[in-house]
Amino acid sequence: MKTTLPVIVAFLSGLVMIGAFFLNPDKFGDIQGEVLQWATIIAGFTLLLGVVSIVRVNWRSVVKQEKGWYNNLAVLVSVFVMAIGSVLPASWSPLFGRDTGSIYDWLFNYLDAPMMATMFAMLAFYIASAAYRAFRARNAEATLLLVTAVLIMLIRVPMGEVIIKAIHASLPDLINRYIMGGANVAVQRGIIIGAALGAASMSLRIMLGIERTYMGKT
Amino acid sequence: MSFWEKIGQIDRRWIYLLVALAVIFPIVVPVQLPVGITPEARQLYDAVEALPDSCAVMLTFDYYPSTVAETMPMSVAALHHLFRKDIRIVTMTTVPLGGPSIAENVMADMAAQYGKEYGIDYVNLGYKANYTAVLLGMGASIESIYPADNLGRPLSELPLMQEVKNYDDIEFIFVVADNGIIDTWISIVNAQFGTPVGAGVTAVMAPKLYSFVESGQMTGLLGGMRGAAEYEILADQQAMAVMGMCAQSLVHLLIIFLIILGNIAFFTMKAKGRES
Repeated sequence: MKTTLPVIVAFLSGLVMIGAFFLNPDKFGDIQGEVLQWATIIAGFTLLLGVVSIVRVNWRSVVKQEKGWYNNLAVLVSVFVMAIGSVLPASWSPLFGRDTGSIYDWLFNYLDAPMMATMFAMLAFYIASAAYRAFRARNAEATLLLVTAVLIMLIRVPMGEVIIKAIHASLPDLINRYIMGGANVAVQRGIIIGAALGAASMSLRIMLGIERTYMGKT
Repeated sequence: MSFWEKIGQIDRRWIYLLVALAVIFPIVVPVQLPVGITPEARQLYDAVEALPDSCAVMLTFDYYPSTVAETMPMSVAALHHLFRKDIRIVTMTTVPLGGPSIAENVMADMAAQYGKEYGIDYVNLGYKANYTAVLLGMGASIESIYPADNLGRPLSELPLMQEVKNYDDIEFIFVVADNGIIDTWISIVNAQFGTPVGAGVTAVMAPKLYSFVESGQMTGLLGGMRGAAEYEILADQQAMAVMGMCAQSLVHLLIIFLIILGNIAFFTMKAKGRES
């Protein structure tokens, strides 16, 4: 039953979505709407499950005082400070809720957002260092990749565009058209079509109960 | 150790310092550079420009705070363009971490600049989990997926949402994203409901989307900070992205210089190895 019921639910849900798409949407419209509402509600609970999981994992580390336990404590404090402040009704105090001036809003604007942006910005340093060490014209393929990358990097910034235009005024447009709109598009289409076929076959496997890894089974 | 050996094994902290200087220099000495307009950016701008005044457009904030340097200028430039045309805007996000707050802050700031009123001129729907179901469900009824807006106000109390029931009432969808959600906007919303979709995405995502622009499934594309700068110029609102072009130019040129230097060192050492 533990296996059969999820397979039946997955099969019927998939059937409704396929039916609504390929057959008369009016006949399936209400059922499809109902299924989609269920899907968003269930997804909401998965977020809650994520919070429970993060609390359990970090709480265990704090209690056992494992190496770096203070980092786990920082995670727990952050989760609860952000969550409690935003969940409490704004009518109690302007510090609660998620409106401008609330604790949540302040923490998001002055801690969360700058920290995430900083983490992402650090990539520029790593990319520069990695490009210096790894981008070598070792063979024909690597040289082709290197030349293409340099050309694209040049046309994507104004200073580079000026340099390229000094060779020929229409060169940036030609590079954009033939590399980005030509070779790139051909490759991307192959990848996208391949991925779509893979997704379709995986969906069929799930609907037919062949693929059961989502239930924790192999 | 020869000069080229030293260059080949240069301490990475020197590279970090050069990158930092390339980023800091344009902040100290601002330089405005001419930015060329790509056909993809022009297509997006023209599509928005061709929209009838006072129609409804959906603008999404599908990005995390980590990529705001690239994506937020796109949202701001788009909002200048849309509000100037008196277009009414419905915003939403498929990103739980920061998406709703970014949308709330940017919309409040821009609405104040143009004297727009919440509920009449714009609405922020916020976030709902399971984006595939959300995007598909809004095709039938937005209210069934979002019974209330981002701050919990019922949609039935918002005048704009009395007119905007589903995608049929939306003229254009302007997606600003830093993740794979754009595929779903194209494959579900554009393909199944026929609503035109244009997008501004991070530079790393843009190459994949050229195929959708070529096939006509997407109406225009902005790629990275450069794309944002292009839209700022087109919308005549030059701001952060145009300012950022100098720093980005210097860093790109620095990386190209480092690649060339690294290759010279590599081949010199290789030649020496053969000789010995």
